[in-house]
Amino acid sequence: MFFTCLRRELRRRGKAALVVASGLALGIALVIVVNSVSRGMSRAQDEVLQSLYGLGTDMSVTKAAAPPSKGGQRPRFRFEAKDDGSEDTQSSDLVMTQGFATLPASTVTEVAGQKGVSSAVGGLSLDVVKVSGQFTRGRIRQDGGEQRGGPGGGPGGGPPARIEGGGADFDVNHYTVYGTDVTRPELGPLTSSKITSGRGFRTSETNARVAVADAAYAKEKKLEVGSTVTIKDVTYEVIGIATASSGDAAANLYIPLKQAQTLSGEKDKVTTIYVKATDSQQLDTVKSAIQKNVPGTTVTTSSDLAKTVSGSLSTAAELATGVGTWLSAAVLVAAFLIAGLLTSSAVSRRVREFGTLKALGWTSGRVTRQVVGEAVVNGLAGGALGIALGLAGAYLVTAVGPVLQAQLGGPLGGMGGPVGGAGGPGGGRAVLGGGPGGPGTTSLEVALTAPVSATTIALAVGLAVTGGLIAGAFGGWRAARLRPADALRRVD
Amino acid sequence: MYELRGVTKRYVRGKDAVQALDGIDLTIGDGDRLVVQGPTGGGKSTLLQMLGGLDRPTSGEVVLDGIDLASLSEARLTRVRSEHIGFVFQSFNLIPTLTAQENVETALVPLGVRAAERRARAAEALESVGLGERLTHLPGEMSGGQQQRVAIARALVKRPKVLLADEPTGNLDESTRDEIMDVLERMWKEHGLTFVMVTHDSALARKASRLVTIRQGRITVEENTGA
Repeated sequence: MFFTCLRRELRRRGKAALVVASGLALGIALVIVVNSVSRGMSRAQDEVLQSLYGLGTDMSVTKAAAPPSKGGQRPRFRFEAKDDGSEDTQSSDLVMTQGFATLPASTVTEVAGQKGVSSAVGGLSLDVVKVSGQFTRGRIRQDGGEQRGGPGGGPGGGPPARIEGGGADFDVNHYTVYGTDVTRPELGPLTSSKITSGRGFRTSETNARVAVADAAYAKEKKLEVGSTVTIKDVTYEVIGIATASSGDAAANLYIPLKQAQTLSGEKDKVTTIYVKATDSQQLDTVKSAIQKNVPGTTVTTSSDLAKTVSGSLSTAAELATGVGTWLSAAVLVAAFLIAGLLTSSAVSRRVREFGTLKALGWTSGRVTRQVVGEAVVNGLAGGALGIALGLAGAYLVTAVGPVLQAQLGGPLGGMGGPVGGAGGPGGGRAVLGGGPGGPGTTSLEVALTAPVSATTIALAVGLAVTGGLIAGAFGGWRAARLRPADALRRVD
Repeated sequence: MYELRGVTKRYVRGKDAVQALDGIDLTIGDGDRLVVQGPTGGGKSTLLQMLGGLDRPTSGEVVLDGIDLASLSEARLTRVRSEHIGFVFQSFNLIPTLTAQENVETALVPLGVRAAERRARAAEALESVGLGERLTHLPGEMSGGQQQRVAIARALVKRPKVLLADEPTGNLDESTRDEIMDVLERMWKEHGLTFVMVTHDSALARKASRLVTIRQGRITVEENTGA
């Protein structure tokens, strides 16, 4: 009889039931979409961090930043100017450690020995700037004759003269190289990339002249397995192409750590130590231990790095967690209230029915169960509709895949531009100057997805039942309070 | 058997108070057929509600077979209603979404009768009031007289001791009225019921063995030896 009454009543109140179900559906769909988008953003953020850190890395250790010293350390390119008309091409590779701050390789062992550290691997991040081109002197033309500019660049004394011709025509190629510890492939930035062609490093290739190229860089430079790349006059064979699983790759080229140390002249030095903790819940304790016991280091956990994420990803995440959450909560509360009021109003219209049933001997509990049952079924219908709408919304977000930009600051964020300025024409010697950029920013683009988890679906079902129960409570309370005589009297 | 002793009922609404029943003493024997008459607002329906355990008196006792209904808990009073008292209302009070058979079944639900038996008993009850062919009809698909027959079947399907009818023919035309009264009279005789009916209809009142007239909450009882 319970189900017969329930079915018939829902059929009778089709429109009102649809209004209640639609309200709940809207709220639940919003909750699903907001939840999924938040999850997608969190995943995007993780992907951004992973692309810098690599899988399984809990924190990184770098040298504490020091204020840049005046002058001295600025890298410089020096080219001798050639005579005008010379076809000679000059080229120079400048290999610099990122951030110009290195740690002794022994620090890796020291960090690995700290309590709570499961493993630690060192790596050397390099920036390579290759400048190649023609650099020619200008000519000093005086009245009645001409004279070539001297190596000093400035015109000498004498009668008024002007400089003609000369200058520089050069190409600057900047790329990044990461020296990886090939004996420990389980940690470090290369773990966030997948070898899609060729092979990865063998553990025996500690000092081999082999390289793995990032897929995007390989495409740009037309590199493939078996190609060679030359860095500072050293030729490396490309043994594999690695594709970053998300975002940008950590480097354009990966070479064995020893090779990177030799190229940069940083023997037994590393720029970054990647650390995996034994317990991911104790990262702060491990961080404190490293900072205390290994002086002069900066320890950055993934949560530290997450705080530095800015850009549209960060803005969207704030919107989703802020406005989105409040909006869905407001819609849900409104839907619950409307459902409650409509159910209560439906009970008012059925006073005669409930009064009659009570006169026939139906207990208040039985009548209340009937009202609550109808409301819960209504809520579940709203839930099913809401889940369908929510899934459609989440699918739409994933299908459209709006691109979000994430900017990361901090120690792993990158470095400033190495190229300062170029000497102008007419100078005898062209000088390119670059300086350490310190903690710069890295900009990454990630496509937003809205993955719907089983937890989200369970939450939606829970909300639907809750909505039904709240609505049922409104109506049930009214129905339970009805006294049969009052109910029949009010009708008559 | 009913015994009403000093039953009063006073309704208070704000500053206004209405004395619906004013010290009613009445005895109704098993199998009696009693008609309650009186002007509108005189307290007829209130008296019926006291007898049916739908409402409680302000003071006094309403004793049914030795049990004072006024002192029972709500749960026990509901139980008494479900087992022993059948109601027929002026407006039929059928559930519009349920078929004739399902409407009759609603009276058996609180008794915990299993679904199959419920259906069989409901069909039998409808057959007895001449609606064996209308089991699956909704109230909206039936005439007023047919709806009232369904209500009578619903009242009697649980085999109660008492049948209380509040203006059962009030919404019916004359020929249907006679039809329904015939059915009620037949049921009263067949089931040996105690039958209390409120009516405005003097023709019906004349047929009762006892006539109770209620005015301003007070009753007068007439024995009708000719009925």
